[in-house]
Amino acid sequence: MSANSSNDELMGRNKPPPLFFSSRRFAVGSAASAAVLAACGSAPGTTTGGASAPATTGNAIELSHWYHQYGEEGTQQAAIRYAEEYSKIKPNVKVTVEWTPGDYGAKLNAALLTPEGPDVFEFSGPILDLVNAGQVADLTDIYGDARSDFNEIGLQANTVGDRLYGVKMIDDMGLLYYRKSLLEPAGIAPPTTLDELGAAIQALNTGQTKGFFMGNDGGVGVMGDMLLWSSGHEYLKDNKPDFNSDATVAAFKKGQEFLAANSGAILSGAPTDWWDPSAFTQNLTAMQWTGLWAMPGIRDAIGDDFGVMPWPAIGAGEGRPATFWGGWSQYANAKRPNVEAAKEYIKWLWIDNTDIQKDWSLAYGFHVPPRKSAAASAEPLKTGPAAEAVTILNQYGRPLFPNWTGAMGTAWGDAVNNILKNNADPKAELDAAAQKVQAELDKQA
Amino acid sequence: MSAVTPRLPPPRRPLNTGRLLGQVLTYTALVLLAILFLIPYYIIFRNALLSQPQITAFTWTWLPIPPRFENLRAILEDPTAPMLTGLRNSAIIATVQTSGSILLASMAGYGLARIPYRWANQVFFLMLVTLMIPGAVTFVPSYVLVASFGWINTLHGIIVPGLFSTFNAFLFRQFYLEFPSELEDAGRVDGLSYWGIYRHILLPNSVGIITALGLLGFIGSWNAFLWPLIIGQRSAYWTVQIVLSTFLTAQTINLPALFMGAAIAVLPLLLIFIFAQSYIVEGVKATGIKG
Amino acid sequence: MSVQSVPTSTAAHASRQRRRQLRTTLAFWGFVGPLFLGLIVFTYIPVLWGFVLSFFEAKRTVTPTTFVGLENYLTLFRDRAFIQSLITVALFALFIVPATTALALGLALLVNSITRGQTFFRSVFFIPTACSYVVASLVWKLNIFNGLPFGLANMVLYQFGQDPIVWIGPPNPPWYWLVLVSVRLWLQVGFYMILFLAGLQEIPRSLYEAAYVDGASGGWTTFRNITFPLLRNTTAAVVVLNIIAAFQAFDEFINILSGTGSSNINLARPPLVYLYGIAIGSQDFGLGTAGAFILAAIIIGITLLQNRFFAFGREERA
Repeated sequence: MSANSSNDELMGRNKPPPLFFSSRRFAVGSAASAAVLAACGSAPGTTTGGASAPATTGNAIELSHWYHQYGEEGTQQAAIRYAEEYSKIKPNVKVTVEWTPGDYGAKLNAALLTPEGPDVFEFSGPILDLVNAGQVADLTDIYGDARSDFNEIGLQANTVGDRLYGVKMIDDMGLLYYRKSLLEPAGIAPPTTLDELGAAIQALNTGQTKGFFMGNDGGVGVMGDMLLWSSGHEYLKDNKPDFNSDATVAAFKKGQEFLAANSGAILSGAPTDWWDPSAFTQNLTAMQWTGLWAMPGIRDAIGDDFGVMPWPAIGAGEGRPATFWGGWSQYANAKRPNVEAAKEYIKWLWIDNTDIQKDWSLAYGFHVPPRKSAAASAEPLKTGPAAEAVTILNQYGRPLFPNWTGAMGTAWGDAVNNILKNNADPKAELDAAAQKVQAELDKQA
Repeated sequence: MSAVTPRLPPPRRPLNTGRLLGQVLTYTALVLLAILFLIPYYIIFRNALLSQPQITAFTWTWLPIPPRFENLRAILEDPTAPMLTGLRNSAIIATVQTSGSILLASMAGYGLARIPYRWANQVFFLMLVTLMIPGAVTFVPSYVLVASFGWINTLHGIIVPGLFSTFNAFLFRQFYLEFPSELEDAGRVDGLSYWGIYRHILLPNSVGIITALGLLGFIGSWNAFLWPLIIGQRSAYWTVQIVLSTFLTAQTINLPALFMGAAIAVLPLLLIFIFAQSYIVEGVKATGIKG
Repeated sequence: MSVQSVPTSTAAHASRQRRRQLRTTLAFWGFVGPLFLGLIVFTYIPVLWGFVLSFFEAKRTVTPTTFVGLENYLTLFRDRAFIQSLITVALFALFIVPATTALALGLALLVNSITRGQTFFRSVFFIPTACSYVVASLVWKLNIFNGLPFGLANMVLYQFGQDPIVWIGPPNPPWYWLVLVSVRLWLQVGFYMILFLAGLQEIPRSLYEAAYVDGASGGWTTFRNITFPLLRNTTAAVVVLNIIAAFQAFDEFINILSGTGSSNINLARPPLVYLYGIAIGSQDFGLGTAGAFILAAIIIGITLLQNRFFAFGREERA
């Protein structure tokens, strides 16, 4: 019955727990899970697309390849097309694409516990536990010479010890978008410090159109990471917490003042959240923090009336601008029988085939291809705000760590929330979180 | 509530001004509450027939005029969101799961209530305990278990684990405990076995409770999400709720499609409700949760 | 339960009795067996398995090798966030249980007191049960309680000359509780109303008539002296079911507060949401199942406190 509980629930025996939602926050475990976002567009769904395999010769190998559901139209068809192309080159390999709506993390994680799981899958999050559990195969040897062509930060997310376990397929980042037509007449320059950002927010707020939008939580989720990075520090450094230094504590104090002074002029409770550009394009706000993925949608809606910048530095000569550097990578399931075939397929698709990488990153949504040469030669990224974005990413993008686990993310997120929402003492909160994170790190050792 | 206390209450003269006023107030309250309760459904069906910008627009659109029926066509024709397959799977799963679990639960309820087995109470207690254990405990082991049966990507992998409802068995037991034993005795005199009594005397008298629990079970089954998601991995095994979730990705929400889908998904339930609802109160009375 | 008849000496008699007992046993398991067997496979084995896991370090594996004793339990008891989640859910129960009970009873009384249109009103209050949490949550977040002037709630406020409120997000004042409580109320109150209606209809009309003759005026007096006492069992059932459901709160919290990169879930994170993050998100099954068992113990404790009003107490009547 509806009041019923427990076990019956998850099995659908009685009242539902219909819980589709984005559990990315859990999967990645920190507010920076934002970083895993792909793109913006409108929604397609799914079916499995199998390559209708040509008559196979020899022993046919079947690989199942899992994707989460991308929001952009055409992505699923593209993934199927790549798989079919591979079958043309390798007639004895048949790749089945499985497109997963809903809670991809839950489904993937469950499947990885059994022998039934995917052969090739994408994932976005800390991989240390996967490596320790023997769920992902070592991919170091398929990189070959191409290794130096992948950007370092992308490699870092997939490195455990000195081995590489995944191949980055897309890079994502955040940007502060502003309306030129609102800033220029008011004589406001794009803000380069937190104080300037505050001043701009106040000046741009008209009540109807707010000054800034960075999420329906008042921006707390986004701001935590940005304050840390813009203070010049990281989650971890030399395998130790790096987020409770004096500079970061000072940055959070500044963040508290910033919110106290400006939250009235910052949009909150909008119908869509920060990762969707609607609030910006529908004039609910003059500036918004959202992803690179939103750029095509923004251009469609408001033409060239926008500029982009990174999250501003803490103060003049203090700290540095920042943005997150996230994305998705591909992995081979070490527990499946055809690991070698899976590795070969990954190599063909995400290492050798730069045309496909460019197609995947840029033909549907808007991401940066992880190979430097591909990013540099991609036409859409050569001019205007897109080119600026690539520069910003390379200059200011901050990495995620393969061992920054969900538990650490929760400790960090709780501290950030207590500081920025409940005005708790930054020093005490960050120290407490650092202690928890250190305990987790000790367990990893 | 009524302010006036008549000195000599006339036992059968229902309509004095006090009672009339009372009725007017009652109806007014009911109508207001009914409007309040219907607002969310109004919004669902309204959103289903609007465009995305209209749903999130500055100004509230009261009625979808003109209604965008292309939303319906769009989701029925979307090859990446197989709505019809989803509806079919959901119908099969919900029907089989509901009827199966009702049968098993009513049998168990009868056994627990009416067969004087020495350990019946202990067995009953063991079953009750499972009600209080959150599904989070069993979720992952269950998955691994079902996977080891080779039931991934099958409908029975979704259906079978949901067949065993302790809660329903508990309610059936309550019902059969209060069932007049004279009827049962009469059956025994006629030479009926336990099965015969169950089949010919108790079941025919359980229509109310079967309808009530069946309806609630059907809703639960129809709306279930996580289990069908991880078991039915290929789109051929998706339920309607999974199909719905394709409109709600981490990056985008296709609101008109989502609400049109939600409207389609809830419609069968509403129809069944209207059809079955007269049984529900009777059924609940039968379960013995009452005064 | 089973009546031991006085043995009348002969062995034949004893064996006949044994045979009857055997028949009873077989019949019992014939009826209860299918369900019980299913429970063994799909509930008891997973529960035991989970219980074992809770004493191991089990990350991304369900066949762990590192035994850690009570470590997972101790970790949780020391975990401020987990304790906070228990407080959160207790607070939630404190809101939702009385609200649901009162509203369900109120609706039942109203519906029961009218002569025309009972079916209609009963249906209207009951059909929200058919809606899923996902869809309801979306409607609440998007259309009713969005923070802009054009959300439905803010439009109503505007009519009274009030400024729009950002319902979900700010910690003070905690409007988000209104959102969370109202969505669950809408979804579940009709179900409990049905329970009360069933209870009300079982109260013999003659009792009211007798009270009437004795000079009772109806209304509050009869409610206090007749209706409510006779609904005691129903009320107890409603309260217990409600508490169990409240302590397992999950869906509306996830669907309304959680979101990519959003920290709103920190406003109110019930234990199942926290544990879901640990077990399903981080794949730490040891810690996750330990937490779920703590929660189960709490729920069982509360239920046992109530049991003399409900469930176990009733079987004596058989």
